[in-house]
Amino acid sequence: MAKNDDCVHVLQGLLVFGNVVIGMCGIALTAECIYFVSNHHDPYPLLKATENRDIYAAAWIGIFVGLALFALSILGIVGVIKASRTLLLVYIILMLITFAFEMASCITAVTHQDSLTPEHFLKQMLERYQKSEPANNSENEVTKTWDELMLQNHCCGVLGPSDWQEYTSAFRSMHSDADYPWPRMCCVLDAQGHPINLDGCKLGVPGYYNSNGCYDAISGPVNTHAWGVAWFGFSILCWTFCVLLGTMFYWSIIEY
Amino acid sequence: QRGIHTSTAPPWLLTAVRLKYTPVLTKDPPLGGQRTTSTFVLDQPRCVFEDYGNADIWLVVALDRAASTFNNTARPGSPETAFQSFPKPVRAYMTLNATLVSYPCPKPAGDITVLRVGSETSCAQDVMRPTCNGPLPGPGPYRVKFLALEGSVPVAETEWSKPITLIEGRAVRSPSSISTKSSASMIAITTILSILFAILLAGLVAMLVFWSSDSCGGSSTFSKPESVTVRRYNTHHVYDQPAARL
Repeated sequence: MAKNDDCVHVLQGLLVFGNVVIGMCGIALTAECIYFVSNHHDPYPLLKATENRDIYAAAWIGIFVGLALFALSILGIVGVIKASRTLLLVYIILMLITFAFEMASCITAVTHQDSLTPEHFLKQMLERYQKSEPANNSENEVTKTWDELMLQNHCCGVLGPSDWQEYTSAFRSMHSDADYPWPRMCCVLDAQGHPINLDGCKLGVPGYYNSNGCYDAISGPVNTHAWGVAWFGFSILCWTFCVLLGTMFYWSIIEY
Repeated sequence: QRGIHTSTAPPWLLTAVRLKYTPVLTKDPPLGGQRTTSTFVLDQPRCVFEDYGNADIWLVVALDRAASTFNNTARPGSPETAFQSFPKPVRAYMTLNATLVSYPCPKPAGDITVLRVGSETSCAQDVMRPTCNGPLPGPGPYRVKFLALEGSVPVAETEWSKPITLIEGRAVRSPSSISTKSSASMIAITTILSILFAILLAGLVAMLVFWSSDSCGGSSTFSKPESVTVRRYNTHHVYDQPAARL
């Protein structure tokens, strides 16, 4: 009989430990999501323009889920130690609701990752970069964002300078191909912002123009974010699942 | 502006020497702009026209199907070879005039020696400049050759190049809003999480059923058992009792 006591104590200990981990993970998730949301990277205007802001919705949900997890883990610890059925029932129900929200956030983040294809950015860049009469402010922003992106990352276009050749674009309708096979920002610029060798840039001589595409520079940080939110959330949920199962079992063996 | 020397050579000398050189698009170094939608880049004809120090070397750009009918006696700068009338009605124009001085032999190593056909946009509409090196009006295909003229007499020519087709821009495809390939990770996450959630819901329902049946009276709960210890009864007292009665 003493063994049963020990079993229960062991289970209590495990549940308390599980809840402590959940609490800490909740804080970590909140911190991670606050970092993503507040750290408006350069690609944000591009994402806004493609109307693809799901990753930020997922991050916002993550913030609240993290706080909820922390609060509920404390409730769980109290409930386990006091062996109170009511508290534990409340705990389980609220945890399930949080679980559902975090599930939504994870799935959104993973789905979003899939939809960040080069074609999205290509279409937006070709249609809006250096559009002659920008319909609204966001088009100017797209041009400015692309210019900064190409300058800082030493890249050109989405897949490469050939984007400007292979596809028709607003840029092409404004500038002749012979003078501007690609935008001037694709040239290697000196400190004053002038191409170091304009003819070399127009010819496409390696060293005088940026020959690689910007897709990696855009998708890199956003994909890391999506991974962080999605997979960290997923691992928290798996752990929470185990703790909840343990709590249900514990609930069923304690008396009022 | 060079003076034009009219040649009085006999007719049989008017056939130009055909040199064994074919103009090629520049392969070394690899250029990003080797072919664009309106320009292309050729290697300069170095060490080709060595015997023709006095000649003007012209580049003839022709529509692919007009190459075979091009007459070497065509004069550059005339309406029949003016760039501004290309491709209709002019089917071949002459441009990029140079002399042997511009193409020294041998080529210094490390130098990029190219001719960019189509680079002059300022004179593209200017009929006063019929030898303009203007941007090509369409994707082609085109063929080019070099022609050396002494005065107006063709003295040497290269082979016609292979047909050169330029890049043609097309409209970008609209990306499908639903990506056709569902990634494995999305399926995995959705499936696993749904299963976990379903198990937890089932557990919750079981708990609630358990609870309500429990509160209705059946004490089938496994309550924590009392710690039971076996105590030895003191039997001494029981044996004493009958003895007291007697």
